Amino acid sequence: MKRIILSGLIAGALLFILCYGGLYLGIRLFPALFMDYNNPLFNSDGNRDVFFYMHAFIISFALSWFWDRFKGLFHGHFILRGLEFGFVYAMVSLLPVMWITFSSLDITFFMVLSWFLYGFFQAVVAGTLFAKLNP
Amino acid sequence: MKPFTGSLIRPSLLLFFILLPSFAFKAGHPDPVKWILTKECTLKVNGSTNINKFSCIVPEYAQPDTLICYKDNKNGPIKITGSMALDVQKFDCKHAVMTNDLRKTLKAKIYPKIIIKFLNLSKYPDVYNREEAVKGAVTIELAGTVKRFEVDYKYVMNGNGNLKLIGTKQVNFSDFNISPPRKLGGMIKTNNELNVEFVLNVKTLN
Repeated sequence: MKRIILSGLIAGALLFILCYGGLYLGIRLFPALFMDYNNPLFNSDGNRDVFFYMHAFIISFALSWFWDRFKGLFHGHFILRGLEFGFVYAMVSLLPVMWITFSSLDITFFMVLSWFLYGFFQAVVAGTLFAKLNP
Repeated sequence: MKPFTGSLIRPSLLLFFILLPSFAFKAGHPDPVKWILTKECTLKVNGSTNINKFSCIVPEYAQPDTLICYKDNKNGPIKITGSMALDVQKFDCKHAVMTNDLRKTLKAKIYPKIIIKFLNLSKYPDVYNREEAVKGAVTIELAGTVKRFEVDYKYVMNGNGNLKLIGTKQVNFSDFNISPPRKLGGMIKTNNELNVEFVLNVKTLN
């Protein structure tokens, strides 16, 4: 349990820096890609900002628990284990969620694709870290 | 004799007091001029976020209205009464999601109208001067809040005798107790300032 929490916490901190840092730079470098976020579907009064920034830790703790349960299924070099872990997460969780999101909300395909790749990247980073911290 | 005289004087006095105020008002206030707002009136709002600029317009004024101008003297300030009410739902930002976002920000479902009430002008537009700048006060009611502003106007006399009055003013979302929208945890932020431009196409009636 201690190992799950510790590795979840470290992965959360790393994802926080990488993901929000990347998002910050992405918005500044490629503003046109983010135009569609000026959409009433997205919360705009700031009352959920805390939840938004907690996401890195929520996904890290969830993935840390998932890794601890199923790490025996991932073999080989730690980077390869991380990649496979990310792929499994993307197929099992992200793909169905993104599918239903795209089919039901008025958002672009590019937006959904970017979320899918973003989630895959998060899971690969977390998986690689878990393979090192909790082999 | 006495009661007879008194009965004649009393109605005369009564008539005098009834007519006196009407003479008094006539002397102080000249005949008003009616300004008919035609449907070519528009309202444009320009704003920006940290990633783009937007320009949203109410392209026409579907409900012609009348403003009444009281000009006391040719070059002095004039008082105006009347207002125009525009539908927030008619805002068009040429980008469907931005249009919807602006309507939501301006609380269009609760407050469907923007009401611009005209109060005065620094001088009556000179029909012989084809282009000039004047100032004037208005109140703008948006999202349930009424705020008074001094507006810079530029006017153009059209060939057909109609008047085009272009008013510009920088306002803030916060003037109307509206928080500028922010997305993705505040990474995409709308700036507080909005440049408002309204074009009044006026047909004058004396």
